[in-house]
Amino acid sequence: MIVGYTPGRGFLHRAHPFTPFALAGAAIVWAFALPAPTGPALLAVVLAAVALAARLPGALGTALVMAAPFWVFLLLIHWGFGDTPGRALVVGSQVTAILVAFLMVVAAVHPARLVDALVARRVPFAVAYLLAATLQAVPRLRERARAILDAQRCRGLRVSGSVWNRVRAVVPLTVPLVLGALAEVDQRALALEARAAAGVRHRTPLAPPSDTTGERVLRWSMAAGAVAAVLLRVLW
Amino acid sequence: MTVRLDGVTFRYPGAPSDAIRNISAACAPGAVTLVTGRLGSGASTLLLTVAGLAPHATGGTRDGVVETLGHDPASAEGRAALAGRVGILFSTPWTQLSGMAYSVSDEVAFGPANLGWDRARIAASVTRSLALAGAAHLSARDPRTLSGGELQRVMLAAILAMEPEVLLLDEPTLELDAESADALVALLPQLAEGAALLVATTDLDRTVDVADRILLLDRGLLVADGAPADVLGAERAVVTGASTAIAEITRAAGCPPPYPLTVDAAVRRFGE
Repeated sequence: MIVGYTPGRGFLHRAHPFTPFALAGAAIVWAFALPAPTGPALLAVVLAAVALAARLPGALGTALVMAAPFWVFLLLIHWGFGDTPGRALVVGSQVTAILVAFLMVVAAVHPARLVDALVARRVPFAVAYLLAATLQAVPRLRERARAILDAQRCRGLRVSGSVWNRVRAVVPLTVPLVLGALAEVDQRALALEARAAAGVRHRTPLAPPSDTTGERVLRWSMAAGAVAAVLLRVLW
Repeated sequence: MTVRLDGVTFRYPGAPSDAIRNISAACAPGAVTLVTGRLGSGASTLLLTVAGLAPHATGGTRDGVVETLGHDPASAEGRAALAGRVGILFSTPWTQLSGMAYSVSDEVAFGPANLGWDRARIAASVTRSLALAGAAHLSARDPRTLSGGELQRVMLAAILAMEPEVLLLDEPTLELDAESADALVALLPQLAEGAALLVATTDLDRTVDVADRILLLDRGLLVADGAPADVLGAERAVVTGASTAIAEITRAAGCPPPYPLTVDAAVRRFGE
């Protein structure tokens, strides 16, 4: 599974960092505001097509894998117990659409470009860095979890096979993962301070992202589309 | 003096005792100064204090006077004035990554960019510091794919790229293979020419050859300050385990102090 920035040259990679965010934000609104069940299902399909067109098959695959348990659970609840599958289709499509949109943003937006774009809009560096770091938190935790699991396996822990084995592996994974992450926060804070990241007055953008009129129009259009969908939902 | 400590005591929050106690010392460019002692002696804390990170970032209480480039580094005014002028390299390179770079050159440029330098100056500084740290060949690599030793060299370059006037290295050879560690140690005299250099290390066998001065700490106290042969060759240093293997061997062989610190020194002494 791929969660995190993936180098590439698709149109979302080349776009101003705000554009994928605008797409994700609008997609979340549309997922709930478009008429069900066709709206959310169609949205999920369109977003999947966008992911493929943006050369982000990894993000799409990860989103589908992550959405799969939701689908199984929803179908069991809504269909297996005598209900109609319509509700499962709606909620499943909403979850899938949101996952695809979010993972596309994470995969396409380079954290440094995002920071540069935010700082250019006068967002304080600390806030911009916090946002970019949050986007990178999941891949970092996954890398750390993998290393901890490998270490525990070397010490005889069985993490595959029966459900019981997997459940028993949770504690030896979680405790060092959480404690290690907390300890690293202190060290990372010291290191960032030493690299002049505290109290930045004017950061030089290393590769300032260009923002075209077309992209600005596109972002405003998506925002307007999201507002229109909400209004239609409320008033209709 | 570039760095001046006068009666400095520091205690971490919640700690039962002081990490360093009543330390007075001064440091200027031109000399490689090693800060050493047994583990837990306070060498790393001394570096954090000079950088102002203790107590500003670590919490805790500090007494005494710390003056780095004429400023109290823990004060708000000092931190603003010293941003980028005091570089500190920690022993765990993976915790020093900015998390914002997908190439080594962008990682190294993170600090200079925070200082607001123009892009031409940043590019020149990145190129120069990567070459100095022996990491020029890594410039296009993703930092997350580097080995610990490669990453430590990149992080050294990242610190050097800010052109610090005070350079603090905390166990810089810990993650390096023998060849890389020797290369970094050989670089220390050159680094000391342009900056006040303090190196906290327990790797004395490797570093003693290039050291001009030793600050020996024992449980937070500065117990000796002087030339390597005088400080590390003395009975106290060898007994406390803060000396070289050659010194320990010659003591174990029953020779009287001062003990030789290197093979060459031992050959000179016993060859007579």
